[in-house]
Amino acid sequence: MANAWKIARKSNAQLPLVIVIALAVVLVLLGKAQNGLFDRARAGATDAMAPVLEKVHAPVAAFERWIGSIFEIFSVYEQNLKLKEENARLRQWRNVAIVLQGRVGRYQALLHAVPDPQMDGVLARVIGRANRPFLQTMILDAGRNQHALPGEAVMDARGMIGRVYLSGQRTSWVILLTDLNSRIPVTITASSGKASNIPAIMTGDNSKLPVLEMVSRTVTLHAGDQVTSSGDGGLLPAGLPVGTVVADGEGWRVSLLADATEAQDVEVLNFAKPPEKPPAAAELPMQAAGLKPLPPPPSAPAQTAPVTPVPPVPAKPKPVAPPPAAAVPAPADGTPAPDAEAVDR
Amino acid sequence: MATMERTGAQPRFRNFAGLVPLLTGLFLVVIANTPISLLAGLVPSPLLGLVPIYFWCLVRPDLMTPIAVMAIGLAEDILSGGPPGVWTLAFVLTYALVARQRDSFAGLSGVAAVVGFAGAALFACVMAYLTVAALALLSPNGHLPPLLPIVSELAMTVLFYVPTALVVGWLHRRLVGASRGDI
Repeated sequence: MANAWKIARKSNAQLPLVIVIALAVVLVLLGKAQNGLFDRARAGATDAMAPVLEKVHAPVAAFERWIGSIFEIFSVYEQNLKLKEENARLRQWRNVAIVLQGRVGRYQALLHAVPDPQMDGVLARVIGRANRPFLQTMILDAGRNQHALPGEAVMDARGMIGRVYLSGQRTSWVILLTDLNSRIPVTITASSGKASNIPAIMTGDNSKLPVLEMVSRTVTLHAGDQVTSSGDGGLLPAGLPVGTVVADGEGWRVSLLADATEAQDVEVLNFAKPPEKPPAAAELPMQAAGLKPLPPPPSAPAQTAPVTPVPPVPAKPKPVAPPPAAAVPAPADGTPAPDAEAVDR
Repeated sequence: MATMERTGAQPRFRNFAGLVPLLTGLFLVVIANTPISLLAGLVPSPLLGLVPIYFWCLVRPDLMTPIAVMAIGLAEDILSGGPPGVWTLAFVLTYALVARQRDSFAGLSGVAAVVGFAGAALFACVMAYLTVAALALLSPNGHLPPLLPIVSELAMTVLFYVPTALVVGWLHRRLVGASRGDI
């Protein structure tokens, strides 16, 4: 019997090893400069594998749940107590949220506030996860055909998971917030109720808790402060829930609300920030209050004599005494009048 | 082409046998990078493509050529989603190391053979890490990648070496065989 492990002494390499090494180095540099070719190949490969992944996904997810249940069965009692306590606390917060939502709605109606940009969402299913040393990603079953495009935010029911960074026709790759290459601008809102929004950059480092960077040294963070997307740069919508601040030995990190390892169904937010249009004249507070529109402000004192003298027009109409509620002029900055709420009603 | 005569392959498979190392490497890369994890992504998938490179570099370097190694590394780069070219360079450099130290590696057996492969895998992971670190430092605000994921990848690769090597060895005996000069 031939010794299969016997060493062959000569190699019939078609290319000398040195040339192949040089080609590999060129490939690294080329990939750094322009990796569109690699991305297209990856998207094509994932599109081709999508039917298989979708078929295999269900039994694999069931197996994961089964494995998870083995470990969780020992902590059912503690989890039950914890969930009951959390449920009671959340009911209180729900009542608070309902009251605040109504108040905000009234204020918006009074101000005729410009609504936030509308966002369409694409529901997608996670058909694959990859945990590689230099990339943490998940693959969705929605691609360009479903209008899931690179740069769009991916959310689950609790918060933001990541961003789409590569889209095929039927599949998308999501770069997770925990990934080494993930950097998003965020806003930190103090949990103590102080109206302070602190800008920062949240950077992934392949750990479960991304790092908060670029935080001003003059501000003080506290564990439990809320972290949301800031919308700076216009790539992501503002206000997406991300997580809460946790203290680290060296700095501050973010405990994410979403759990990318358990997410099964996610939403890809199709965010395209439209240009903000000024409200129509009929929607302005003064017109809505029944006041006459102001004439255009007089031109600056003409250095050249006007052809026809224009009578001076007061910049603001003087309220007639006694001022009716509807006649109270709204300040120019849009702050509602004290009894403007009654006017709106 | 004198070494194309082999003991394990049937005559009708002789042409095909020359492609077995490359196809095995590509197949294992696809298997390893299938984005399905039974442990919810808690551990990285192993570098299965490195096993046939190591194996056939020792026993049939005429079939596991540098260009075949490059093709396997390229497949790993495309399917793993990381920075392009990193694993290509790491695999090719590891191949060069193993080919240079072939006598030392091929003389190992048993646990020592696993240790030998672990050394080669360690070299590949170190090369990949250094490449990514260099790329990161070239980028503005670049960070050094953490060490733990690559160490986990190395551990998984070594852990999966024995079962993968058994399959590769079986394929070698059934389809490839030793070259005529080695008999």
